Amino acid sequence: MMPIDSRIHQVLDGELAVTALPAELRPAVERLAAAAALLAAPVLAPSLEPRVMAAIRRPAPSRGRRLLRWLATPHTLTLRVRPVWSLALAATVAFLTLVPTGHEGPDIGEHEGIAQFVARFPGARTVHAVGTFNDWRPGSIPLEDVDRDGVWRATVVLPTGAYEYMFVVDGERWVPDHLAERLVADEFGRENSVVIVRPAHR
Amino acid sequence: MKWVLILALLAEPLAAQAARARLEGRIPDVAVPPVDSLVQVASGEGLPTEPLIQKALEGGAKHVTAPRIVAAVQVSLGQLRDARSLLARASADTSVPPPEITTVAWALRRGLPAPVVERVVAALPRPPRASAMHAVADLTGRGFDPDSAADLIITAIHLGLQRERLLDVSAAVAHELQRGHTRPEALAVVRRELPRVPGPPKPTPNAVVRARRPATPSP
Repeated sequence: MMPIDSRIHQVLDGELAVTALPAELRPAVERLAAAAALLAAPVLAPSLEPRVMAAIRRPAPSRGRRLLRWLATPHTLTLRVRPVWSLALAATVAFLTLVPTGHEGPDIGEHEGIAQFVARFPGARTVHAVGTFNDWRPGSIPLEDVDRDGVWRATVVLPTGAYEYMFVVDGERWVPDHLAERLVADEFGRENSVVIVRPAHR
Repeated sequence: MKWVLILALLAEPLAAQAARARLEGRIPDVAVPPVDSLVQVASGEGLPTEPLIQKALEGGAKHVTAPRIVAAVQVSLGQLRDARSLLARASADTSVPPPEITTVAWALRRGLPAPVVERVVAALPRPPRASAMHAVADLTGRGFDPDSAADLIITAIHLGLQRERLLDVSAAVAHELQRGHTRPEALAVVRRELPRVPGPPKPTPNAVVRARRPATPSP
């Protein structure tokens, strides 16, 4: 490090006029004066420090908050899709929406259909549909009165065809289905109801 | 068709052999031998045996006495014989599948006169004829003249309606009756619209979801 001439100190301190210096020392005085002026100038961003410190102290936002902020902030999305893919997507959505998936209810075969039994037996404890579809054996097709209004119902899957049947009320009373449109003599002095089960898949 | 007939002819004797096992415990013990004997006779004659077994099981379930069960099975056997004779008369096809015999026997039980059944059989040279029979019987059950009912269903057949669609014809006539038409008017309205008749109402999605297969009955 070069020692500064004492006369330069005197000029910088105002004890000596610049003109009193030899010409070779004057550039050094000018450079030092310029540097001193630069240091004396006010800082351009006096609030930088507080802002930096505040940012350092503030905890980083959580991932969820950042996501919320991203969702709440308007963005510009530009999709470049070929129309054929748009149509394919629309067709897929329509297919999934409109075509039954088959997961609801039982799988119904080609030669099967749905039979609905409805009968009004107020006060009954049990009602069963008994007929040629279950070898005239009570127990396999119980009707239910869920809302206790006396109307008993059962919906069953049966092979297609025609069946004779009756209702068995409380395990002992045999009653024809009064809502059935078809009746046939049972050769025992009474009449059976007849249900025709049509294929569910047409 | 031949294979179906052969399989049906083979299946009937097997079913007849299993009949006794199905009857035991379900009908009075004293009724088992005579009913089983009638089932064997039917099998030997090439008649369907299931209607006889069902009639016996029905009698047993309804706690009917043994003599009445046997009598009812005998009546059923006679109906099956009559049905086969009728089919032989009315159909050019010499081989009569057992299900067709059952169908015709049922039509006769539902009150259709034999000549009317013969007309329907002749109009449908090939099985299945069950829906046609039921459609005519449905109309007859609503008080229509059997011949007029058969005329309408045969017209529908000639116009191309088949199988279960024939049941829609009788349902359409019933609908016209409910709308206030007289029977001749209802027949005329539906005949005029043939072969356009509305189909049956489809089961609601709720009904399909609720549908269950019958539980296995306890022995």
